[in-house]
Amino acid sequence: MSADAATDELATATTAEDVRPDDGILAVESLRKEFGGLVAVDDLSFAVQEQEILGFIGPNGAGKSTTFNCVTGTYPPTAGTVWYKGEQVTGTPPHKMVKRGMARTFQSFAPLEDRTVLKNVALSMMNDTLVTVEGLLGEFHDEARAICERVGLDDRLYQTPAELPHAGMLRLELGRALGTDPDLLLVDEPFAGLSGPEVESVSDLLLDLRDEGMTLVVVDHNMRGLLQLIDRAIVINFGSLLANGSPDEIKNNPDVQEAYLGGGLE
Amino acid sequence: MTDNDTSRLRLLLGRLNPLGLPLRQKIGVFGLAFLIAMPLLVSLPVVGRFVVMILPASSWELGLYNLAAALFFGMFAMSWDAVSGYTGEISFGHGLFFAVGGYTSAMLNMGHGLSPWVSVLGGVLLAAVAGVMIGVPALRIEGPYLSLVTLVAPLILLQVFIYMSDIFGGEQGLGNPENLVGLGFVSNYFLALGLFLAVFVLLWALTRSNTGSILTAIREDENAVSAAGLSTAKFKIFAFVLSGAIGGLAGAAYVHTPVGSPTPSELMSVIINVEVIIAAVLGGMGTIVGAALGGLFVAMLPDYLNLVEFTVPVIGKSISEMSFFLFAIVTLFLLNIFPGGVLRWGIALGRRATGRDGGGKEGMAADGGQSPEDAGTNPVAQTMERYQEYYDNMFGGDDK
Repeated sequence: MSADAATDELATATTAEDVRPDDGILAVESLRKEFGGLVAVDDLSFAVQEQEILGFIGPNGAGKSTTFNCVTGTYPPTAGTVWYKGEQVTGTPPHKMVKRGMARTFQSFAPLEDRTVLKNVALSMMNDTLVTVEGLLGEFHDEARAICERVGLDDRLYQTPAELPHAGMLRLELGRALGTDPDLLLVDEPFAGLSGPEVESVSDLLLDLRDEGMTLVVVDHNMRGLLQLIDRAIVINFGSLLANGSPDEIKNNPDVQEAYLGGGLE
Repeated sequence: MTDNDTSRLRLLLGRLNPLGLPLRQKIGVFGLAFLIAMPLLVSLPVVGRFVVMILPASSWELGLYNLAAALFFGMFAMSWDAVSGYTGEISFGHGLFFAVGGYTSAMLNMGHGLSPWVSVLGGVLLAAVAGVMIGVPALRIEGPYLSLVTLVAPLILLQVFIYMSDIFGGEQGLGNPENLVGLGFVSNYFLALGLFLAVFVLLWALTRSNTGSILTAIREDENAVSAAGLSTAKFKIFAFVLSGAIGGLAGAAYVHTPVGSPTPSELMSVIINVEVIIAAVLGGMGTIVGAALGGLFVAMLPDYLNLVEFTVPVIGKSISEMSFFLFAIVTLFLLNIFPGGVLRWGIALGRRATGRDGGGKEGMAADGGQSPEDAGTNPVAQTMERYQEYYDNMFGGDDK
């Protein structure tokens, strides 16, 4: 109910191109990223409201991942400002963003191949202290086990990432992100390569997380499965904003249809 | 919370009961007990003869000296393992830390008249500073480039020592600083053993705690570590400083014993730098235990070979004359047969023999939290992969 009102309010805020720090849990103003002469992200502004599921959509090469990387601190942006929870965080290194409560999953899964699923998740729950007796006594892995159960890996706790099927890798990515106890979760291409029932169960998990108070941004170039999940979508193309609105508005937007040349909108 | 504390305490007590330990740890405890009891055993009638026989020298007194020297070398190897074995940033010049520790302590003692017990602390401190000086650049330059830096750093220090030989004694070193515990065979042996155990317990505990799994995670994938909200920079510098301080401690204490003196050839020669790496990799990189064992082995093998009074017929040379050559050959073979280190191989073998192979249960992080049999993910393979990435990038590979 209040989410809808907030969505409407936001639609005006972002199109007006002046995003303010307190426009949402995450606010991005005139973000620009250039690689040499190539402009990957072109003065993009948007805001994400607390507890919404925002779809971040665009064709391949539209600049979705680069935007993500600038927000999470992987790349420093060429220009622009990022606010998180009302604080200016532009260019903050990734591990500090994670500590502030922003986690992400990687599209090209990046688990630690040398340890089990459980230990992968346990790593993201560790404190940043140098000298500790934690873990010395064979470890109390209860919390990590609970997260594994949450993401549906409870029967694969002692397998290594290499033994997991594709969907299992995605679940592990989610588990590792959840281990950091995030308030905002950026999910990169969760549905790529998943079967119908798998898409459904991952969607259910993301909806549950939102109901518990988490904010989610889901990136995908494919709208299948995504439009049912999200409250609102931002579509970008060539690094700048193309459309912004509810799933239905996005689906019927002629610009979006053209950008996709009819593909991916079935 | 109190419930948790009680169960922690019970777990700790259970862990300390020697009968409840896994086989490999029982063997380790037995080995340590043997090392501690060694000086007493030599005076026993029958056992004594046996002990003297297995010591790496012709008499038990010299045997204890050689063993003390080997224990110091074991500390060098452990200090290398703590940073390179765990984070995968290979240092080719760990002698830098031994030399900084040893020379600082010797100069404080000889030049300023400080008690060796105090000057050793000075050596540790300066070696830790050297750890910062290598650790901070290590945040920007990695892999093969960092290895080059670590290779060159002790060479520069050596040149300084040679140019300023009026201060540092050049190639000859600094002579004989005061000993910590005199010339006694037994007292020096226990000094070395005590330090060895202290260093071992410290590093063992640290690498089996969460810190150890964060360091091995850095070796595997730095991005994954920062995605977990952990600062790779902080942990890498910590590893270098810790390693430098411990290497410095070993080097400093070493020069204040009759078995060692502050000379370039004993603390920072290229051979020392390479032998330290061989010892840790041979024993089992990234395990501390393996480095300790490998260090003892690498230090004592030439001593044993020196004892062999056998002349190879055709070339007419005695075994003791070619001990270093034979050492290199033996090492080369062992490295080929056990690429993951002898320790990993031994643990895997023991597990198969006792029927506790895999089973997938969550055991204690016995070997730094890794499955010893996992050949594809052993630290040597991981480090190779790391280096491969840098070489690929060097020749214009694509970003992945």
